[in-house]
Amino acid sequence: MRLSWDWRLARIFDDAGEVVDESIWDAGRKASTVAERLSLLSAGRQTDEARRLGERFPEAVATPIHELPDGWWPMMSDTEADLIQDATLLIAQAGVAAASSDPDRRLEHLVGAGDEIRASWTTIEARVIEWAGLFLPEIDLDARRNDIPKAIAVAESLDLAASSLETASSPTGISDSEWVALSQWAKGVVEIEERLQFVESAIREVAIVHLPSTSALIGPLLAARMSTAAHGRERLARLPSGTVQVLGAETSFFLHLRDGIPVPKHGHLFQHPWVSRSPRWIRGKVARMLSGKVSIAARLDAYGGDPWGAAEVELVEAKVADIRKRHPKPQR
Amino acid sequence: MSERSRNKSRGKTTKLSSTVLVKGRGLWSKNAVPGVKVRGENLRKMEGDEWRNWSPRHSKLAAGILRTKQESSLLPFQGSQALYLGAGHGTTISHIHDHMCGVENEMGGSIVAVDVSPRCIRDLISLAKKRPGILPLLADARKPESLRPWLNGRVDWLFQDVSQAGQVDFFLDACEHFLAAEGIALLSLKSASERAVSGGSEEHYSNAAKAMEEVGLEVLEVIRLKGWEEQHALIIGCAPHDWK
Repeated sequence: MRLSWDWRLARIFDDAGEVVDESIWDAGRKASTVAERLSLLSAGRQTDEARRLGERFPEAVATPIHELPDGWWPMMSDTEADLIQDATLLIAQAGVAAASSDPDRRLEHLVGAGDEIRASWTTIEARVIEWAGLFLPEIDLDARRNDIPKAIAVAESLDLAASSLETASSPTGISDSEWVALSQWAKGVVEIEERLQFVESAIREVAIVHLPSTSALIGPLLAARMSTAAHGRERLARLPSGTVQVLGAETSFFLHLRDGIPVPKHGHLFQHPWVSRSPRWIRGKVARMLSGKVSIAARLDAYGGDPWGAAEVELVEAKVADIRKRHPKPQR
Repeated sequence: MSERSRNKSRGKTTKLSSTVLVKGRGLWSKNAVPGVKVRGENLRKMEGDEWRNWSPRHSKLAAGILRTKQESSLLPFQGSQALYLGAGHGTTISHIHDHMCGVENEMGGSIVAVDVSPRCIRDLISLAKKRPGILPLLADARKPESLRPWLNGRVDWLFQDVSQAGQVDFFLDACEHFLAAEGIALLSLKSASERAVSGGSEEHYSNAAKAMEEVGLEVLEVIRLKGWEEQHALIIGCAPHDWK
């Protein structure tokens, strides 16, 4: 004896394929309730009808309808086909809506937006420095680099900008229209700086909640970047640490595979001061150790472990210090 | 104009079904939503109906249909139930819909279109609203159990196009679960996403064909899609009459 069911009905068959008993769900058939049933079945659960028949015939073996011989299971009527169509669209729409609340997708856009803004900031900031430098011949462009865009953006004229920067303006001066162009450009730089800060504070906010341990270990911005590079938190958690170590160094890694250049020692992890501010001969060692710790932290985040705090991070920092102490000189 | 070149420019017409035809080098499906393009393809009036060009550049199934040496076409039966794993944005799906559902699903076909990406499902939802018969499922093609409630029994036609490592394993898994006896199973294999082997693409193709034969499927043909889709092959399998 076999028990089979789908969202419409449940049936008990004897070995010859005769329907011994059946229970049809026909009360309140509408798209939303069908959607609930389909989701239930998709998760591997039984319907009420199947449970009822199962209690009535405990000896019946639960058999998926695909395992039944041809022709045993009833076809769908047109109304039923319409119902399952509408219900399926409801489920799909709910699935798409749920994806928008996925922090991985949100971080992906935030990190991408941050990168794009930073890239354009670098370009237009470099121009405003050189451009303003033409009209401020005596200023030290390196020492005052951070002040120049703001001073030009808020000043009403070149002379006022020069005096707020405590320097002299060019004796030939600047035409009104050129000054407007320059100061608007400088305003753009200041605005983009602000926009970058908004993006970064949003990244921090999402990352600290979504990746608490990884954020504690390497900072929320780098944690978000690592997770995005790995295409999501769960995948970062599944990657081997050797891959985590070179995430972000794909170009040189594949050049290594193809042309045999030396293997990259670090990718995005280089951004962390433990790596970038270590002497060059131990960066690989630090990056390898750190990638292992990032893997552990990411697994805690992805699979709901107790998040790391300052105490655990201190232990890792001690390891960095230890590596630095053990290798004071490059190996010959 | 010589007889020969005139023939070429007009093209010989072969009907694969009432809704799909090959004209010259082009493949066309009868538009189930007349006047509407799905992906900017050409529309053309022939014999009083509107047909949509089914481009082998955008659809590996179209490429396979144009290149196969099989007598019968690679298309599912009209009005039947088909399972499509890795539905993407729905270009191929829309043509299969033309073929097996028709206007407002007059043929009563059903295409279960599975994809794991919400971005793709979004496009499929808008497609399905215009084309009843398409059932978009946001699900993982590697977990066939979760697709069960949507399939009323086994399917005669199963297509997988997912381009990820290990795709052969879960193609076979899906076949064991859902393919009917004498049903046809099409595997669009991307050799570039498999682990590199010494024999390159050809070795991937033959490994996949061997794996299909090991589980009892009959491999009818391995169609290389080179020229349209590099490092891709469409492998056509057929379930024997005593399958499962």
